[in-house]
Amino acid sequence: MQIWFRFVAAVGLSATLPLSLASQVATPSTGKVTHVSLAGEAAGREPKAFAPLVGSWVITKDAGQNVLFIDGRVWKRGQPAGGLADKARELYGARNEEFIESIKAFAYYPIAVYKGLDNFENGEISVRFQMIGGTLDRCAGILFDVKPNGDYLTVRYNGTEDNVVLWTFNNGVRKFVNRAPTLVPLELGTWHTLKVSIHGTSMKSWLDDQPMHDYTLPHPVAGKIGVWSKTDSMIEFADFTVTPTSK
Amino acid sequence: MRFRRLSALAALVALPAAATAQAKKTTRAPSPRAKLVPECSWKPSDAWVKRQAEFFDESKHDWTNDSLRAALLDAAGLKAPLKIPVQFGVRVEGSDATPPTSAGVMVEALKKLASTRGSTWPTRSVVGAAGTHAVYLLVGLDTTLARIALHRMMEAGPAESPAADVATLEDRLRLLAGRKQIYGTQFRRNDGKVELAPMEDSAHADLRREDASLPPFELGLCMAGVGERKG
Repeated sequence: MQIWFRFVAAVGLSATLPLSLASQVATPSTGKVTHVSLAGEAAGREPKAFAPLVGSWVITKDAGQNVLFIDGRVWKRGQPAGGLADKARELYGARNEEFIESIKAFAYYPIAVYKGLDNFENGEISVRFQMIGGTLDRCAGILFDVKPNGDYLTVRYNGTEDNVVLWTFNNGVRKFVNRAPTLVPLELGTWHTLKVSIHGTSMKSWLDDQPMHDYTLPHPVAGKIGVWSKTDSMIEFADFTVTPTSK
Repeated sequence: MRFRRLSALAALVALPAAATAQAKKTTRAPSPRAKLVPECSWKPSDAWVKRQAEFFDESKHDWTNDSLRAALLDAAGLKAPLKIPVQFGVRVEGSDATPPTSAGVMVEALKKLASTRGSTWPTRSVVGAAGTHAVYLLVGLDTTLARIALHRMMEAGPAESPAADVATLEDRLRLLAGRKQIYGTQFRRNDGKVELAPMEDSAHADLRREDASLPPFELGLCMAGVGERKG
């Protein structure tokens, strides 16, 4: 049976494509806003628009709408998502083994990679999130600069610390990069928007339109994008939106 | 009757409550309050009880510091093994019992430990599961220490820190910081009636409570006697 997924571009482009053709839609349409719709997804199943590589990511309902849920209740140390090898092969072909090795080192950090864009270099990425719970962590992040070897960057909000932080993950090592100076306590069960803007080495972030980061990266970004979380976080994500630009 | 109910509740939340934990094992082990209010009962086969039982299983001696463990248990007024469930997640403001006299010394020792960079925090692998519950009870006596301890307990992870204790402590500290609780473990009296302290997102409370090995929200409210008038 053929598996289908749907993405809807805010510019009016609406397309239904076979999953196996995911890479063919991966060329960024510069300046065009792509709003990833989960409306056609099946509740209780893994998402089709995202490849869950670590953690238990499922489509669930919130107020009647499909949302992407990272269920930290089933988090276990060192346990990547089911079918990791197949998903990594789909994303990175022959380089999947290198990717898997690195990802396993990051098993504390659930990630789901957006399938609809192979390479994001400049532009904006935003996502709405709602914290549901998590005894150890309540993290919602935007994943970017995802390399075939599993290295990546993430800007995340952590509800146990009330802060927005940029982290880098390289060769199996997580490193703190920059913490936004403003602490923002958010209530659980309420929706908020996290946004990053990348232009060359300039990285800015916002939480609910409040500026968080204005940071210069050591190098320009180039890679896949997605959503990120941590350990036992329970977070709902919705309205993942990407607007690639030329610079 | 009212006094008996309050006494039963106090036994649930009081510091040395778990010290009375040597009751005989029964196939059905109701909470003290459940004897009076049947709908407040629970079963050993309930998932949250089983998860607490797993964490507090000390049948294998797999901790490293017996002397610290003994000091912690003594200071908290506990005797191992603890009766399961250890943590009901029901704390009514003003119902905490007076701690043993040795508690103050251990609180100071924990403060020193907490302020020492690189020190080994007394987690499950160091002082055993009962020792970690003693730590929870003791750090609750000092708000500053409790804030540091909560961070240490969270950092240590679910295999090293009792999730139900972590959740209950977080709720208490959130309220002290002027925020709302998130698990629904803290109660207070208002005009003699027990009420739930301010809480956010009660709609997802059971998801969080399940994750933290706490009883279902409704059971917690029942055990606390929400809405009932108490002296």
